[in-house]
Amino acid sequence: MQASRARLFKEYKEVQREKVADPDIQLVCDDTNIFKWTALIKGPSETPYEGGVFQLAFAVPEPYPLQPPQVRFLTKIFHPNVHFKTGEICLDILKNAWSPAWTLQSVCRAIIALMAHPEPDSPLNCDSGNLLRSGDVRGFNSMARMYTRLAAMPKKG
Amino acid sequence: MDSDDGMLDAHDLESGEDDFYSGGTDDYNDSDADEPDYGFVEEDVDDSAMVASHRSQINYVVLKEEDIRRHQQDDIGRVAMVLSISEVEASILLLHYHWSVSKVHDEWFADEERVRRTVGILEGPVIPTPDGRELTCGICFESFRPEEIVSVACGHPFCPTCWTGYISTTINDGPGCLMLKCPDPSCPAAVGQDMFEKLASKEDKEKYYRYFLRSYIEDNRKMKWCPAPGCEHAIDFAAGTGSYDVSCLCSHSFCWNCTEEAHRPVDCDTVAQWILKNSAESENMNWILANSKPCPKCKRPIEKNHGCMHMTCTPPCKYEFCWLCLNAWTDHGERTGGFYACNRYEAAKQEGLYDEAEKRREMAKNSLERYTHYYERWASNQTSRQKAMVDLQIMRSEKLEKLSDIHRTPESQLKFITDALLQIIECRRVLKWTYAYGYYLPDHDKRQFFEYLQGEAESGLERLHKCVEKELSVFEIAEGPSDDFNHFRTKLTGLTSITKTYFENLVKALENGLADVDSQAASSKSTNSKPSKSKGGGGKGKGSSKNGGSSS
Ligand SMILES: [Zn+2]
Ligand SMILES: [Zn+2]
Ligand SMILES: [Zn+2]
Ligand SMILES: [Zn+2]
Repeated sequence: MQASRARLFKEYKEVQREKVADPDIQLVCDDTNIFKWTALIKGPSETPYEGGVFQLAFAVPEPYPLQPPQVRFLTKIFHPNVHFKTGEICLDILKNAWSPAWTLQSVCRAIIALMAHPEPDSPLNCDSGNLLRSGDVRGFNSMARMYTRLAAMPKKG
Repeated sequence: MDSDDGMLDAHDLESGEDDFYSGGTDDYNDSDADEPDYGFVEEDVDDSAMVASHRSQINYVVLKEEDIRRHQQDDIGRVAMVLSISEVEASILLLHYHWSVSKVHDEWFADEERVRRTVGILEGPVIPTPDGRELTCGICFESFRPEEIVSVACGHPFCPTCWTGYISTTINDGPGCLMLKCPDPSCPAAVGQDMFEKLASKEDKEKYYRYFLRSYIEDNRKMKWCPAPGCEHAIDFAAGTGSYDVSCLCSHSFCWNCTEEAHRPVDCDTVAQWILKNSAESENMNWILANSKPCPKCKRPIEKNHGCMHMTCTPPCKYEFCWLCLNAWTDHGERTGGFYACNRYEAAKQEGLYDEAEKRREMAKNSLERYTHYYERWASNQTSRQKAMVDLQIMRSEKLEKLSDIHRTPESQLKFITDALLQIIECRRVLKWTYAYGYYLPDHDKRQFFEYLQGEAESGLERLHKCVEKELSVFEIAEGPSDDFNHFRTKLTGLTSITKTYFENLVKALENGLADVDSQAASSKSTNSKPSKSKGGGGKGKGSSKNGGSSS
């Protein structure tokens, strides 16, 4: 408990310092609970998520960083490796490939990379995975862009 | 992890690793080709040798835990010496290459650089060596003096507390801890046994070494645990020789290939199919397993508490009948043309025996009736075998001593009795599996020949089993020594030997796929007084010509 708290506090201070350095990620620690974090990440350019801002929720377990944080999308996203209803993410580093040298910040970076490079062979969202696997990139892109516009962009007017 | 899984490479077989195997790879057929058909078992052959004598060379070794440890340590030591690396590094290599010493050598000498990269044995640090300033632990992000920091070969700095946590987490996640890498996500450096030794708690270390030992068996293509419940022995098997049957020190015999109980001469696919079939039919078959049937004459229930199929109803009825066909035992000779034929499905069916049994009439489907025939015989032999095993145990623990006293004979000279029981146990096993074989045997010509051989073997076995179960009991309560006991010895020894020959013929024929009809029929001539009664004769010509007339 003390070890994870100390480590999270170090990450907190690092985030304060790096805020300007990585404009695509904005990590915020909960006001009352250092084990709860949220992040706002920018959809990577040249992807159907470009222009969108996506919110992630982090729940950090007590043995952190020996065990990975639980992360999910709070913002709806159409992506083969993200559960459309729950926002659950299928990403190896959040499971068996986790390393205690990862940080919440580097997890955000990995998630941005996943948005740019979906893995249609381990889909949590089958519709989206099937579109990509059948080679219908246009169909996939238009669905993903539609949901980005609907859920991840500030409403105009 | 690597791509060569499932491929048995030649190196494994040809390496010098198997110098502890007792023998070469003599063909099974050659090993006993010149044995006489008759002839008594020599007194000084030991139990296991006698039962195994008709098998091919022993091509496996049973390992106890201390043997496993020793073999593992020997392999590690050998790799370390040949490659001039530490034992820790040798272990990492062997774990990666599934404990194949020859594979490690081949890969290493083909491309050491690539192997080092793949398994994570680095030659030096991948980051600049510390210049005496404080270092930041890559996990807790705290600062430490360089001497407090612990690293593997790569040099990535972590504090001992974080290492311990990292190692403990991975050990408790399972055997994956054996392939642990540096905590730095992009670093390939392997974490060796020395780190576990230095940094893990006592309890975690025990778990780790358990996994390490298990890996030597479970990740090794030529090793398997004995599947008997509670047994902790392993079998080291040299592939490439004939039989898959292995026998553990715990007395459990199993098939190396499919780990079902030993089933030679029947192949693994047939066994798997049969076992699947049995579980699908298990409800229908439950009633068959019941160990009692009404006496065909007086209808009183008779319990089968002997191993042999020759039943005698209790007095005053005393009707003697066959458990399998429910006919008078004396009928066997005449009705079936002079020989035992209860193994034959077609014969039983034509006799209309199946119409009589009420239960069977309910079974409308022919297929189920056919299956029932084979299943009942398969299961009966299993039961008889277990009975014989119990008998053997009692014989060894109590009866031999009594017999020895009564007949003033040293126990060593009573070995013919245990030999007979051991032969029965082995034959019941073979016979049992021949019924699974028979169920799946489609070819009609071959079937006749098969059933002929099976029938001969079975009738021999029934005589032997009956002799040891019934005739022996007289001598267990005798007053003192008699000539009769010597006659009994001669008879039982002879029956044991004859039965052994019958079964060898059966096993050989089945392993040949019944291809060798001519030579088999010829060799069975000497063990059988009238060769003309072989109905299999009709199928002879076809059977052999189809297969080019190969002979043993
Ligand atoms: Zn640390
Ligand atoms: Zn490293
Ligand atoms: Zn065993
Ligand atoms: Zn098998």
